[in-house]
Amino acid sequence: MIPASSPRAENFFLPAAPGQRYCLYHPAAGVPKAALLYVAPFGEEMNRTRRAAALQARALAAQGVAVLQIDLYGSGDSDGEFGDASWQTWKQDLALAHAWLAAKTGRAVGLWGVRLGALLALDYASNAALPVARFVFWQPVLRGAVYLNQLLRLRLAGEMLAGGGAVDSRQLRAALREQAQEIGGYDVAPAMADAIESLDAGKLAAPDAPVHWFEVVADAERPAPPPALQLADSWRARGAQVALQAVPDQPCWATPEIAECPQLRAATTAAIAEVLQAIGAGAARTAAKAEARDA
Amino acid sequence: MTLDQTRDLLTDTLNLGEAGKHLTAESPLLGALPELDSMAVVSLIAAMEDRFGIVIDDDDISASTFETLGSLAAFVEQKSVQ
Repeated sequence: MIPASSPRAENFFLPAAPGQRYCLYHPAAGVPKAALLYVAPFGEEMNRTRRAAALQARALAAQGVAVLQIDLYGSGDSDGEFGDASWQTWKQDLALAHAWLAAKTGRAVGLWGVRLGALLALDYASNAALPVARFVFWQPVLRGAVYLNQLLRLRLAGEMLAGGGAVDSRQLRAALREQAQEIGGYDVAPAMADAIESLDAGKLAAPDAPVHWFEVVADAERPAPPPALQLADSWRARGAQVALQAVPDQPCWATPEIAECPQLRAATTAAIAEVLQAIGAGAARTAAKAEARDA
Repeated sequence: MTLDQTRDLLTDTLNLGEAGKHLTAESPLLGALPELDSMAVVSLIAAMEDRFGIVIDDDDISASTFETLGSLAAFVEQKSVQ
């Protein structure tokens, strides 16, 4: 249930370069206790996740977390064509949104990344000017090269469904070095493909803020996939604080029908509620100390 | 055995619900299931690799593989022994 008391979202255009970006701001109910910047998945996955992300944003806002959703350059209602977008422009967009949200709420901003958006968030955070308070990941893409291969397969599958299918992914990858290729209804530029392919979450610096990581699984018996478990362990070994949770739900970014991901939302909301409690307890201790000092 | 597992996987991945249970080996998939769009094909391939521990090549993304539930199950079986 999404409480009816959740304040209405506000939309606006954020000046960026080039052009401006469409943003949807979900103000926190009451004084914001935390802030999260949403980093959407790539291409068609972004569209399919829209509903589940909006519901999650509202649930978080009702809980006291301000959430900003931004359409990155070339996507949604923002300026630019998707095929002209670069990984660098997207990171600049995130920096602008990050600064806006921090100024608006007076809180250190966390990054909530879904699929390739999680990898983008990690890459951005590795040299962001502003501090990142926490990470929330939904089924993060860990290796860009594997993801790019899936994108190529998406095109192959499309051609098979259309009754064609004389190319393989090697040929397609070669064509993608020459010029932009349409994949699943989105133009992917050579530089974008190269940027995605080169990224590996395991080779980036371990996150220096707590990570709340959710993997969607088919049923409750299943653990998170091995690559996720391995990277979580590797990050922990490097001192990161990682909570990895397998949640039985639909992968809303891939399902043909719009999925609302109620289990994923419940798990995410619960994890953030714990964070807010800890923040509240910390604030209460500080207040008590100040009172004791003043007395 | 493989037919049942393939049916379950297809039903889960495409979110077919009750309708999925009635699929037989002869049930056509390509062009017959509106849920089977290109993203669903890619998800299905990834799910098959994950659940059956098989490796699927680009060449396997062909109409003959996805023609019927039976052809898909036979494909899984053939990949599993390799």
